[in-house]
Amino acid sequence: MANRNRRVGLIMVLVALAMLGLGFAAVPLYRLFCQVTGFAGTTQRATESQATDASQFAKSAGGPTISVRFDAQVERGMPWTFKPLQVTQTMAIGERDMAIFLAQNNSDRAVTGAATFNVVPEQTGSYFNKIQCFCFTEQTLQPHQSVRMPVIYYVDPKILDDPDTRDIQQITLSYTFHEVKKEG
Amino acid sequence: MNFGDIARKRLSFLVFFFAALALFAAPQAAVAQATPQVAASAASPAAPPAKAADTSAAPAAPAASAYTPLGPEWIKGAPTPGAIDFQKQYSPTGRFAYRFHQVLLIPIITVISLFVLALLLWVTVRYNRRRNPVPSKTSHNTLIEIIWTVIPVLILVVIAVPSITLLSRQYKSPPKDALTVKATGYQWYWGYSYPDNGGFEVISHMLPDEEAVKRGEPPQLAADNRMVLPVGVPIRLQTTGADVIHAFAVPSLWFKLDAVPGRINEKTLFIEEPGIYYGQCSELCGARHGYMPIAVEAVPMDKFNAWIASQGGTVKGAKAALPATEKQPAASAAPGAPAAGQAPGPETPASPAAGPAA
Amino acid sequence: MATTADTFQAHAEEHHHDADHKPGFFARWFMSTNHKDIGTLYLVFSIFAGIIGGAISGLMRWELAQPGIQILGQISLWLNGNTDMDQALHTWNVLITAHGLIMVFFVVMPATMGGFANWFVPLMIGAPDMAFPRMNNVAFWLTVAGFTSLMTSVFMPGGTAHGAGVGWTVYAPLSTTGSPGPAVDFAIFSLHLAGAGSIMSSINFITTIFNMRAPGMTLHKMPLFVWSVLVTAFLLLLALPVLAAAITMLITDRNFGTTFFDQSGGGDPVLYQHLFWFFGHPEVYIMIIPGFGMISQIVATFSRKPVFGYLGMAYAMVAIGVVGFVVWAHHMYTTGMSVNTKMYFTAATMVIAVPTGIKIFSWIATMWGGSLEFKSPLVWALGFIFLFTVGGVTGVVLANGGIDDNLQDTYYVVAHFHYVLSLGAVFSLFAGFYYWFPKMSGRMHSEFLAHLHFWVFFIGVNVVFFPQHFLGMNGMPRRYPDYAPAFKFWNEVSSYGYLIMATGMVIFFVNLVYAFTAGKKAAGNYWGEGATTLEWSLSSPPPFHQFETLPVIEEHHSHHNAIGDASTAGAH
Repeated sequence: MANRNRRVGLIMVLVALAMLGLGFAAVPLYRLFCQVTGFAGTTQRATESQATDASQFAKSAGGPTISVRFDAQVERGMPWTFKPLQVTQTMAIGERDMAIFLAQNNSDRAVTGAATFNVVPEQTGSYFNKIQCFCFTEQTLQPHQSVRMPVIYYVDPKILDDPDTRDIQQITLSYTFHEVKKEG
Repeated sequence: MNFGDIARKRLSFLVFFFAALALFAAPQAAVAQATPQVAASAASPAAPPAKAADTSAAPAAPAASAYTPLGPEWIKGAPTPGAIDFQKQYSPTGRFAYRFHQVLLIPIITVISLFVLALLLWVTVRYNRRRNPVPSKTSHNTLIEIIWTVIPVLILVVIAVPSITLLSRQYKSPPKDALTVKATGYQWYWGYSYPDNGGFEVISHMLPDEEAVKRGEPPQLAADNRMVLPVGVPIRLQTTGADVIHAFAVPSLWFKLDAVPGRINEKTLFIEEPGIYYGQCSELCGARHGYMPIAVEAVPMDKFNAWIASQGGTVKGAKAALPATEKQPAASAAPGAPAAGQAPGPETPASPAAGPAA
Repeated sequence: MATTADTFQAHAEEHHHDADHKPGFFARWFMSTNHKDIGTLYLVFSIFAGIIGGAISGLMRWELAQPGIQILGQISLWLNGNTDMDQALHTWNVLITAHGLIMVFFVVMPATMGGFANWFVPLMIGAPDMAFPRMNNVAFWLTVAGFTSLMTSVFMPGGTAHGAGVGWTVYAPLSTTGSPGPAVDFAIFSLHLAGAGSIMSSINFITTIFNMRAPGMTLHKMPLFVWSVLVTAFLLLLALPVLAAAITMLITDRNFGTTFFDQSGGGDPVLYQHLFWFFGHPEVYIMIIPGFGMISQIVATFSRKPVFGYLGMAYAMVAIGVVGFVVWAHHMYTTGMSVNTKMYFTAATMVIAVPTGIKIFSWIATMWGGSLEFKSPLVWALGFIFLFTVGGVTGVVLANGGIDDNLQDTYYVVAHFHYVLSLGAVFSLFAGFYYWFPKMSGRMHSEFLAHLHFWVFFIGVNVVFFPQHFLGMNGMPRRYPDYAPAFKFWNEVSSYGYLIMATGMVIFFVNLVYAFTAGKKAAGNYWGEGATTLEWSLSSPPPFHQFETLPVIEEHHSHHNAIGDASTAGAH
């Protein structure tokens, strides 16, 4: 009896540990899940060749257009000004385009920032592809320096095949800069 | 007020009760037809509190040209003292949701609760020890077990249809020329920015109670600067949080959306009538969570444009929505400078494949 | 303690020489390995925590009785040493946080899984004790340590003022960057401790139920209360580690510079909500499912009838448990999710109504044709069935993602979950308490006071919580210390209701005092022929060590009446 109890007890301990592990694993898994499926408005990264394919498709498809809106903000207390230089852009679906954001450090010290981003409506996340983005790496601005930050992106033509997304006329791409606190 | 409401409510309950009976009796196919009729009959008892109905007719239409803030006679979306119902709805999805709740959900849950109560009372009366000293030994009845599994499923299906319809209506994406307004939650106030009109931001704090009363507005709900919006057009309302999570909520517009730091959320808002609509932060955000109300002032488009002008913004359509600030800065320390092919898309006039959203 | 075993004479006499030998006071109550003693400790602890949690809700109803700030200043003066407005408002958040955490983790869970399950699972399955008696003891003291940690947090700096003001959900980033100071760490640590204790007890219950059933008691012959504990134990085992992981990451985000949920380092605060509610939704079933089990026993006992649709009842609980794991995001409808996600969670959530309906109707069918005797446990059980139905149907309303857009985070939600928990779970607790109290103590309570307690409490809680539906529909958000004057009427009513409810609780304590001072000695089976599970075959209270000879459940007997079998056990 004692042995049987120990065995069942041990199995249950393992189950609990597995769930604990799953809890921690949820962080990378969720990130991966968002990156793969575009869940929560997570955008995709695309290579040059993928972008070229998409733009060829766009030319052959006759080019229905879509509008993209840009939104920018910084977290509270970060001494930067950060804004898009264009409110919206309209381009053919599949065609790549570039948007410029302007960031300025208003303080007397160098400040490093990292950007988080998402698109709305959320279900367009899997169709919104970035080829280049300032959000891929951390950005450091020297005191009072201002910088133009480009994003090169395109909207995947498959957006037209998805009943949940084909009626969407405008996608908003939003960035938030957060100050990266240096480890002491 | 409260008790008059209750009395009226009781009458409407009768309507609901019979409507629900009809729903139960009617075959599935008939439900779709039955619902609108019930909706019509239920509309009158479910009418808004008398006060709001009176005031909406009284004041003249807001003056067109110059902007003056709406006075307290325009308050429409506010809680009613002692009310036992939702606030009156002023958006199409709100009215649909409200009707769904009143015509379908309330009758169903009332009938189910009363049915269970009746069964409980019946067993206590009929099967107590005095009247039924010898208990039966029945412990299975497959038929009845199937019935009480299947009927709830059917009821849920009846609920699910309008529920899914409501969701798809709420999530209809706004057209690309819809006015965009961004609400940012701060500890503990709101900022409303208008990216299509120059990107200025209006900061909105709660009015002190005495000041609110002086202006004829409800304390705890009135704000110093309201969020001014146009009526009769779809608005792309976006929310974000600057520090912690807040939630932008206006009950009379059936609208609630979390303001999460580091990301943006979006939903369509459509206000049908000019008026003032109050809401409150609806996600715990720290000490003054209860003190960052939302006051929406909805006005006709021309008055909205006048307001934009009074804020120093640019009226949309007058072009040049660029935030006119810094000139071209030189240093381009940005990674991966935009050398690659940056052909702006040709401005083809073709409309999106599916045409305007249905 | 008396050991007159009326119905189990042979057995009791056989073991009289050592079955009732008890260790000294300290060893018995502080190092206890006896499941009944540990169950008693849990019940006493739960009542103690309930007094504190209930007192906090009293302060909250006092504050909300009128618009404006009534008493927060005084509480804040006591806690923080001043009456600064922001600190007073922070104190409000401390109160709601403490109330939620205490009621969930230190009142309901210790009472159901700690108290009643510890007491009666071994008795009902014919086991001498739990599988891991020492772990059982550790689990209890971890729970006490957790409570101590939570109480300590109230007096620690927590940002704006003392105490953790983050709500029981502890959402990031309010709980990370938004709340400096050790208070939130202590509150989170209290969840770690209580959670570890609960995981230990759930492992203990699962092992006990799987391995230590008396010969002949197959899974499908177990009393439904044992089934309910088994299902709950699995829910705890699967859900609590996820909470532990989530709040551990909160701790490291707060103290060690990680950014699991911090957007500034690429984390996602919404992910915390997903993890929390992956635990949090099963948690509400953890609180209510043992109540389902108790109600089933009670309804069958006082109907003198076997439970109707035993298998359906057992598997309905399993179904509720399973579906409970795939509906969590209905707590997050407004966080910004795509329409398809919302439609899925709407549909999945509504599915839970089906097994719940099976349970409600099966209870009624059990009574149908029965010979009902309205002893206090049955009266509380009837109250439970009705109030749980009311709480359940408002859950169907809230399940609709589109409707929830208006009701999310309003008093409607507060009313809903208090109907299923405060009125559901707590009614089942009192039903179980009056059902088993004489068995546990050996003394009969006053049936008159128990009935009076029911009626006063029933009226009180309904007056407290029913108006909150109206407040919510009218737009009053939850977690607000102050409100617009339009909300005054129903808030005032609700606060009066609290006074009625509190009166009911006074009657409860009077009844306890009565039972211990003047209560009649309880017979072994004081509820008569309807009470058929194994615990009724023992004396009241049962001997310190029971079933040293295991009872045998014979083949031809069905699950719900074991007494005939058990009384034969002595002969073995």
